[in-house]
Amino acid sequence: MNETIGLYIDRDSPLHRLNPLTKVVFTICIVILGFISPWAWITFAIPVLILIPMSFWGQIGVPYLRALLKIVVPLALILLVMQSLFLPGETTWFRFWFLSVEYESVERSLTLVSRLVSMTASFILFLFSTHPSRLMTDLTRRGVSPIVTYLFISTIQLIPLMRTKANTIMDAQRARGLETEGNIVTRSKALMPMLAPLVFGSLVDVEERAIAIEARAFRVPGKRTHLTIVPDSQAQHLFRIALIVLTVVLIGVRLWLSLTS
Amino acid sequence: MAIIDIVDLSYTYPHTNQPALRTINLSIEEGSFVALIGANGAGKSTLCYTITGFVPHFFQGEFHGTVTIAGKDLKSSELKDMVTTASLVFQKPQNQISGTKFTVFDEVAFGLENLGVPREEMIKRIERALELTGIAHLAERSPYALSGGQQQRLAFASMLAMDTPILVLDEPTSQLDPIGSREVFEVVERLTDEGKTVIMAEHKLEWIAAFADRVVVLDEGSILLDGTPDEVLTSSLLVENDIGSTRYTSVARAAQEQALAPQNANLPISLEQAERFFKQA
Amino acid sequence: MSFGERLKRDFSTMTLVLIPVAIVINIVVGQIVAALKLPVFLDSIGTVLVAVLAGPWAGLVTGTLSNVIWSMVANPDAIYWTPVAAIIGLIAGLCAKYGLFREWWKVIVTGVLVSLAAAVASAFISVWLYGGITASGISFVTIYLVESGRGLIESVFAASFIVEPIDKIITCLAAWGIIKGMSLRYVSRFPRAENVSA
Repeated sequence: MNETIGLYIDRDSPLHRLNPLTKVVFTICIVILGFISPWAWITFAIPVLILIPMSFWGQIGVPYLRALLKIVVPLALILLVMQSLFLPGETTWFRFWFLSVEYESVERSLTLVSRLVSMTASFILFLFSTHPSRLMTDLTRRGVSPIVTYLFISTIQLIPLMRTKANTIMDAQRARGLETEGNIVTRSKALMPMLAPLVFGSLVDVEERAIAIEARAFRVPGKRTHLTIVPDSQAQHLFRIALIVLTVVLIGVRLWLSLTS
Repeated sequence: MAIIDIVDLSYTYPHTNQPALRTINLSIEEGSFVALIGANGAGKSTLCYTITGFVPHFFQGEFHGTVTIAGKDLKSSELKDMVTTASLVFQKPQNQISGTKFTVFDEVAFGLENLGVPREEMIKRIERALELTGIAHLAERSPYALSGGQQQRLAFASMLAMDTPILVLDEPTSQLDPIGSREVFEVVERLTDEGKTVIMAEHKLEWIAAFADRVVVLDEGSILLDGTPDEVLTSSLLVENDIGSTRYTSVARAAQEQALAPQNANLPISLEQAERFFKQA
Repeated sequence: MSFGERLKRDFSTMTLVLIPVAIVINIVVGQIVAALKLPVFLDSIGTVLVAVLAGPWAGLVTGTLSNVIWSMVANPDAIYWTPVAAIIGLIAGLCAKYGLFREWWKVIVTGVLVSLAAAVASAFISVWLYGGITASGISFVTIYLVESGRGLIESVFAASFIVEPIDKIITCLAAWGIIKGMSLRYVSRFPRAENVSA
């Protein structure tokens, strides 16, 4: 693989070598656990006790921590503050000028933020350690339609191409004297000359590209074969089943708890 | 045995007034290398699309006549039946990259995976295709990290791997230098020796003169000329209709006009013929 | 035509090739708009384009995938708003199906309807996941409305309802403009060309 695809970080680690489906199941279960956990501190514990150690196992510990600090932590703090202040609650904890913080709002905020943190953190770990090509290759072999793979991967590969084209067009238009700074009217006027060549330029190619994939039998029905097989193991298969069973059990436990309380 | 049989074909694209092809009658033997020449807009691409089934099944439009490709009647078939009979390569190489694969090797595999070719067979075909097109050393590179010429070779390799009996190439050397162009023609010659039928729309007349079995000239949707390279490429009709000539023919013609060469001698279309021609002068 | 057949026709090869192009248009236009510091998003033009040319389900797929890919390559938090992006495609496609993309003023109506649907979807996600307070500019408006005595869901809905329509109207007009700029021959290559010409 030659280039970084989005957030993926290339390493040869046990985490990276795991079958993508295992990571998908794991991420989904973590997300569900975050939702059904009755206490915010458990949900907060997930990234701390599970995900961060896993990132080090995946040799991406440092970039992962950096990403959490950049993406997750600031938003979490802002939300905690804002939500504690403005979510409705009854028992006032302390007043501050015209604002008030209630116990209930803090509790609610902690629940919401812990969920978001846990979900986003597991999603980021998944993205860092799973190359989209490996993911789609594996899913296609398991029966996901090749159309999904096509849409997904060709979009991902198209993005850097379009960005380059967009930059070229922007530079060319600026060189022709297009003003991109100034008041809002000036800036708005700059939009069309930048967008039109880009949009129409890419739309024109659609027909030929459709012919090309048709000519390569993309729409021919029948059984497909696969050049690359992403390795899987019995151990991982059992692990996935165990995770799913555990999650279902925990959902049941939680439901029972909330019904009997 | 004619593998392609076109009888009274006329075709008009949707939302256009003029037919793109008018009463085409063409019969192509299996294993031959037929070159299509003509000005832009003469109908070469449309004819290429017809042989591969995109006309009428992808473009719709008005289709008259009978076209039989490898025994299958075109009108009553579907596009998916045709793709395993005739494969297509066209001008813009970047539009022929599927976009779903991250390496050149995988990209060539794309069509084979769709066809359900078994894995070992797939790998063999890909390796052979990459070898024939001279891009085996690029196997692990991203298809988007190639030059225009390399991408054109990739498109050609992807087609070769599909291993269809008929190969249709629409200006496959547009991004290639003379050496690259020669290589394409040499591969095509090899393929026709193996029994494949090749139809190629091209402008590079010197290569056609050297390699093609037959040249069909299209002009405004009709067949103007149809014959061997010697017959067709020396015809004055080519000059009259602005289709061009090989450089040897041009020089020889100019020499005839200046009365520097005999008027009744056959015009040359290759270097060897040119040498002989000017020896007579 | 049965639903299955309709779906197959909507997802023709032309549609499949259009979708990635449309998604990248979403992303790149969104970025250019942000770089020009204009007060709109304009990150769904491609979605609406597909919805009009290939139907509501294709629009829904485009919106969904667009959002998922955006969260994979730029902002992971965006993934939670995927239903909003999906609804934009769905509603735009339905509006187009009922003839609301044939004249410019009808397109504006589509824009309003799309923004309504987007606002509703946004409100639900906002309340469910964020308690209504998301730390975006919309939240400040929400807070103001809550403090003034309105209920939470209504406030979030009202807040999004102020910002969304302008953005979506421009988006729909832009998509309409693009289609108008395409030749009739080209538009008719797509499965729902009847959405734009009678």
